[in-house]
Amino acid sequence: MKYFTGIDIGSTAIKITIIDENKELLGHKISASGSMFYKYAHQTLDDLIKELNISKDDIAYTVATGYGRKLFKEADENISEITANAIGAVAAAKEFGEIKTIINIGGQDSKAISLDDMGNVVNFAMNDRCAAGTGKFLDACAMNLEIGVEELADRHFSSKGTPLSINSTCAVFAESEIIGLLGNNHSVEDIVCGVHYSIAKRVIKLVKRVGIKEGIYFDGGPALNAGLVNAIENELGKKIFIPKYPQVTTSYGAAILGVDSYSYQNRE
Amino acid sequence: MNKLDSHTIETAKEKQNRHKAMEAIKVLNTLKEGFKEPPKAMDYFYNLFEDVYCKAKPLHKDKVKVGTMCIQIPSEIIYALGGVPIRLCNGFYTDDEIGSEFLPQKACPLVKASVGHLASKNLIDKPDMIYSPTTCDQKTKAGTLIKSFGYDVVDVDFPRTKESEISREFFRRSIREFSADLSLKMGKRLSKKNLKASISKIGYAQSLYHRLSDFRKNKTVPILGNDMFLVTNAFFFDKIDNWIDACEKLVDELEQRVKDDIHAGGKISPRIVYTGSPPIFPNYKIPLIIEDSDAIIVADETCSSNRMFNDRVAVDEWFVNDMIDSLADKYLKACTCPIFSKNDDRIRRIIELVRSHNADGVIYQAFAGCTVYELEQRSVLEAMEREGISILYIESDYSPSQQGQLSTRVEAFVESLKIKNRNK
Amino acid sequence: MKKIRDFINKADIKRFRFWLQIFFFVIFIYGGYFAINLGTSIPVFSCGFDQEVGGMCYFLPLQHQLARPLDVLFSVASISVLIGFVTFLLWFIVFNKAWCGYACPLGTMQDWLTGLRKRLGIRYSTYTQPQFNRLKKIKYIMLALVILSPMAVGMGLLDREWVTAFCSICPGRMVTPLFVGDTSQWSLDFSSKSAMILTALGLVFTGLFVVGSFVKKRFFCFFCPMSAMHYIFSDAALLRLKKDGDKCTKCGDCYTVCDMQIKDIADDVTSTNILRDDCILCLKCVAACPEDDALHVDILNMKLFTSTKGGFEKRMGMQTYKGERDE
Repeated sequence: MKYFTGIDIGSTAIKITIIDENKELLGHKISASGSMFYKYAHQTLDDLIKELNISKDDIAYTVATGYGRKLFKEADENISEITANAIGAVAAAKEFGEIKTIINIGGQDSKAISLDDMGNVVNFAMNDRCAAGTGKFLDACAMNLEIGVEELADRHFSSKGTPLSINSTCAVFAESEIIGLLGNNHSVEDIVCGVHYSIAKRVIKLVKRVGIKEGIYFDGGPALNAGLVNAIENELGKKIFIPKYPQVTTSYGAAILGVDSYSYQNRE
Repeated sequence: MNKLDSHTIETAKEKQNRHKAMEAIKVLNTLKEGFKEPPKAMDYFYNLFEDVYCKAKPLHKDKVKVGTMCIQIPSEIIYALGGVPIRLCNGFYTDDEIGSEFLPQKACPLVKASVGHLASKNLIDKPDMIYSPTTCDQKTKAGTLIKSFGYDVVDVDFPRTKESEISREFFRRSIREFSADLSLKMGKRLSKKNLKASISKIGYAQSLYHRLSDFRKNKTVPILGNDMFLVTNAFFFDKIDNWIDACEKLVDELEQRVKDDIHAGGKISPRIVYTGSPPIFPNYKIPLIIEDSDAIIVADETCSSNRMFNDRVAVDEWFVNDMIDSLADKYLKACTCPIFSKNDDRIRRIIELVRSHNADGVIYQAFAGCTVYELEQRSVLEAMEREGISILYIESDYSPSQQGQLSTRVEAFVESLKIKNRNK
Repeated sequence: MKKIRDFINKADIKRFRFWLQIFFFVIFIYGGYFAINLGTSIPVFSCGFDQEVGGMCYFLPLQHQLARPLDVLFSVASISVLIGFVTFLLWFIVFNKAWCGYACPLGTMQDWLTGLRKRLGIRYSTYTQPQFNRLKKIKYIMLALVILSPMAVGMGLLDREWVTAFCSICPGRMVTPLFVGDTSQWSLDFSSKSAMILTALGLVFTGLFVVGSFVKKRFFCFFCPMSAMHYIFSDAALLRLKKDGDKCTKCGDCYTVCDMQIKDIADDVTSTNILRDDCILCLKCVAACPEDDALHVDILNMKLFTSTKGGFEKRMGMQTYKGERDE
């Protein structure tokens, strides 16, 4: 049995997915990128291989993606995270139906991708210059409110009033704004809600640049935050599909591409 | 204490020269070694740029140097009067930073770099006079700014529409004024003989470019887009006779390369038409990323390359006034710069280039701060969509950062083109 | 095949045209000396007042034919008018308006005057756009004169001098016979007031013709009723002037060289048939176009002569560079 690896080296986290030659998911692992992501990527890969009880020689093809893809020289191929995300999303949402729009909020960037009927990328827009609208913003807000990131969803749904609007365009300055709101006796729940809507509005502006088509898929770490999902759905006015493991869609897509590349190169 | 004492601080000019030389050599080395073997004839151009930007070798010591901004000043007239036209549009980040002191931070980096270069007064071939056509807002204002540095700057009136008879008459008068002014300064008059000869020479240089372009229509493209940008950039300041000789050799070599089936790109490299803000040496950031991402630029629609050479002048009766008017007409009518009110001609040219060079996609690059290219983005994108041509819009500036972000976008686009080709 | 095509496309149109014009000039003006008679339905100003004409301008017989009472004109008795007209059409259809640019003796004379002006180093003048727009309607008024004046005589509204009213004022009548040594047309006819007015106008127009053609290229063709007549039927012709708008860069080179100042050649990028009413199909525009296949003249949808980069470079002297080299 041959296995195929997709490694997504992001700025915040390393995501690795291993699938078999039938494109069935075997397992995945997520770890922090830290400052020495090359070392950590290898470490994580070795750990995953051990967990899945397979050997390194069983891995036929490796595809790297994400910001650090070019530095992972052991990969057989590297592709942009946009292409990988598209492939992964289409595969992961097979039971759901056709995916035409992908929203990805990562640790330090956010993307919107538009697909055609065959699942190919026709247009994309990225925000990778500003932290507002990314996972970093959520981290910073949680820290300022002295709560854990995993609590954000519950707090969101416990909010009683209308979501507060956070006006700062910069994540760093939003910090001062949040402290000001706390000082004016606004509840943590309302502030959390406001933060989620602020991100949602920003992301939807990005998606409008590529066109909002039915069949919307949302992935990236922050997709685990049900409160944020709720805010985005309300702002869009549509239901969106969240995969079971939203952080690994891109690495899953990279692995699938590996299967295709391998069979194309070894065709008889 | 000792460490500080023994350290000599560079003068501003030394630092500028060193930084510029570093920028230049980095790009030249990438062109020489970062891709497949370039044509031997390119060595002339690599050496030329190294001589000028790293070794500070002046090229036009005994001639009167007439600086021009933009491409609307007829170089035929300058050559006929015995001058040498030097295009002052600049591509160095070092000069961009110097220019930032004089212009708003959000201004066009090309204008900032040109202003910075002239402000530093550190020029190898310093222009004796500068003619600045009133094209875009930033170039227009920059003209007056440069004059305040002590240069002899003359504004040349340029219309913002080109369809009407009024604009034709306007620019004809403008060029007649320019000729008269330059004639006075050079102490020489335009004659039938010298003007006809220079029209012939420039026309021939343009024909050489057309021959080079035609080779790139081929399935196996014998030369990289970046090398072509270098060749056309050299025309800004090189001695025209040397440039013509070098191009003739390049044409011969490319002809042989096509026969030998030598391809400068990869087997499945998508073919790209590059349009937008001009990539001027050494700011080949985006074109290098494109060709590094396994694509190949087969044609371009920029004012540092295609626009200078695309259209040749026709004259009916070879009288001096007729020639001047024909030149004025051609430099206005054929121009596809986005400063005009309508841009149908530019869109048609891009589409025609895509068709004739069999391109897979278009990459439209605008400098952050260039209002006109940013404004035209929408109409160009819509037109491409109507024609079914894939297009990527990308913004950048002169700073050396953001490589990762830009390369992700370019790579994603190239990957989508490859998939499109495979599915065809 | 390619070599022949190349040879044609790189041809020096100016020289070709010069010799072809002389050929047609001799045939039409001096044809009588060689016993050439091509009939009386010729679509150019090959003036019938020249006793040795080799083929007569259609307008002279046409005016005579139209000078009949209306009931006679539209009866079977006027079958000859129809035959004359069909003959004219058949001649015309072959070369379309190239008759104007290559065969018309009056056109050739204007080109000779232009050549003289060039030799003297004098610059040509042009109309401004408003002047152009106002003056271009005159040729239709002239055509109306050609047709309606004789008919008015037939209807009894005008005297017999008005049958050939146009011929009386046409410069061709006075100038063409000069080439066979005939100066009899250079006179004022005092026989009646109308005749005096008409011949006086003839002298004035002839003067205008000479001076005008000297300062402006093909001055008379702008007002020519034959040109108007041609244009009405030009869609049926075999020879066509075509444009491929996609290849056009709107550089305006074609407009620069056009004798008739036709803007559409440069500015219209959607029409394929680019022949306009002023066009004399001299093909200077095709010769001056620097793009491949943007302008071409077709016969029965086959490209006869097309614009090429190589042809342009050869004609404009840009194939190699002449002049001095710097050190």
